[in-house]
Amino acid sequence: MSLSSALEQLAIYRANNVRASQETFEHASVILKSAQQLGDDGWAVLEQLFLASVDIGRLDVADRCLKQLSDKFRDSPRVDVLAGIRMEATESTDVVLQYYGQLLEADPANAAVWKRKISVLRRTGKIDKAVEELSELLDTFYTDVEGWLELADIYTTCNRYSAALQALSHALLLAPQNPFYVLQFAETAYTAGDLPLALKTFLVVVDMCERDLDSPADKPPAGISLRAWMGIKLSSRRLMVNSHPSPSNTVIPKNLHLIEELATERVLAAYSSKGRKPEGRDVVVRWVGVA
Amino acid sequence: MSNSAVSLYLDPQIRDWVLFPITLVMILVGILRHYVVLLLQSPPKKLPREAIREQRAMARAQILRATSANSPIPPVYYQSISRHLSETFEAGTYLKDGPPRDGDAPKMPANPMTDPAAMDGMMSGMKTQMVMMVPQMVIMGWINFFFQGFVLIKLPFPLTLGFKSMLQRGVETQDMDVRWVSSLSWYFLNFFGLNGLYRLILGGDNSADSSRDMTATPFAAAPAGPQDYNKLFKAEKDNLEFSEGLYKWIGEGVEDRVLSRYHKI
Repeated sequence: MSLSSALEQLAIYRANNVRASQETFEHASVILKSAQQLGDDGWAVLEQLFLASVDIGRLDVADRCLKQLSDKFRDSPRVDVLAGIRMEATESTDVVLQYYGQLLEADPANAAVWKRKISVLRRTGKIDKAVEELSELLDTFYTDVEGWLELADIYTTCNRYSAALQALSHALLLAPQNPFYVLQFAETAYTAGDLPLALKTFLVVVDMCERDLDSPADKPPAGISLRAWMGIKLSSRRLMVNSHPSPSNTVIPKNLHLIEELATERVLAAYSSKGRKPEGRDVVVRWVGVA
Repeated sequence: MSNSAVSLYLDPQIRDWVLFPITLVMILVGILRHYVVLLLQSPPKKLPREAIREQRAMARAQILRATSANSPIPPVYYQSISRHLSETFEAGTYLKDGPPRDGDAPKMPANPMTDPAAMDGMMSGMKTQMVMMVPQMVIMGWINFFFQGFVLIKLPFPLTLGFKSMLQRGVETQDMDVRWVSSLSWYFLNFFGLNGLYRLILGGDNSADSSRDMTATPFAAAPAGPQDYNKLFKAEKDNLEFSEGLYKWIGEGVEDRVLSRYHKI
């Protein structure tokens, strides 16, 4: 692999935030010997290689990267975080937490260290402490979408769905253009038992995804919109049997049977494309037919 | 006119020992200045956590309001967030120094001279200002002292009489052709014109160009006094109430939109 193509591949990984640690490790090892000649780009590659080698357990390489980085950037908060990640790999959590605590004491507004600390807390099962710290972090750095999603995730694992919905609604406010967050909101609402809200939000997802299509009926739904259609089918079918109360006072749409029909049609359309027999078709047809 | 132009003959020594040195010195001083400013720049001051929280609390309300006419979140959640923010703004929970107590006299805006934080910002502005003023004054003094009244160069194109004051500063001759440039004017031409060259040598955001600083005052670096967040919060509270009236959930009527897209209704 030539140097330039390896660099290019690494830059793509970096830009898209891909966790392809093995590939990154292979590409970056070529570069490691000549990192000094790369100039400013080299340091980003070095950081990337460090994270990848910690991920695949090559701590010897990680230590070499960290050494070079800390020689170059003394007192850099970013390198401090990397050192913390290296400690997480081998040291006990108490030592790591103490280390992060010291860093936070020196600079209470260092969000990166704070987030590492929260992740360590969550990993070691101190969920209550993690939630407390994360809420405080989000109270200070409100615009952290990742943080809100993490909070929602923690709440979901604890079956606190209404709290998760609240966290997700903040994420929605911060990134209203992202249909995946809306879908997550809808699915959480479905799990929480708020079926009218779930149905409405699934419909919003479909509306968002198919807004740019001229004639959506011609094309079978795929990906996120198929998932949303299935959600619509699920929740509308259950709503037709008996009207669930909605904790969020969402009104049940009056054209419920029309929506249910359309959802059935769309889901079947996705599984009846001509030429090939999509996997799991029989299951879906049976599921739809049970209505 | 043409008579005087022909009669003037410039010694090549003037070119070698005055014109080039002035230009060279100005370029070098600019580059030096760039590096001195880099040295003088203090790292951005770290804000304590409470101060960041106070600063960003406004953004929360603004984000909520930004989408309120087509809000992605259902009414219950919108109202709870909106109410919560209103209450905290009213109570002053987000204020750096805690909520104001009853009976406290409304704080006077602090004098920037006594506030060390504002003082720092002002000092750094002054420092860069000094770095630019001192060498320029020295160069100007040098030119005035040694080369006063020198004519350095003849522009290769004719100009109207209006340029006389610009190109022949320091040479009080009525009849001289406008194309001749005096030493002091050459200094000013360089002063304003070298930025392009600096950008070529030092990159886009260099601090070598001193003509840009002419307009900036050292006090512009610090914002106009510390902001009274309590007052801002109270104002934002009104805005929140206003947007609550505008609020509309994007999920409202979404089923009709989807159905009509498929021509079902």
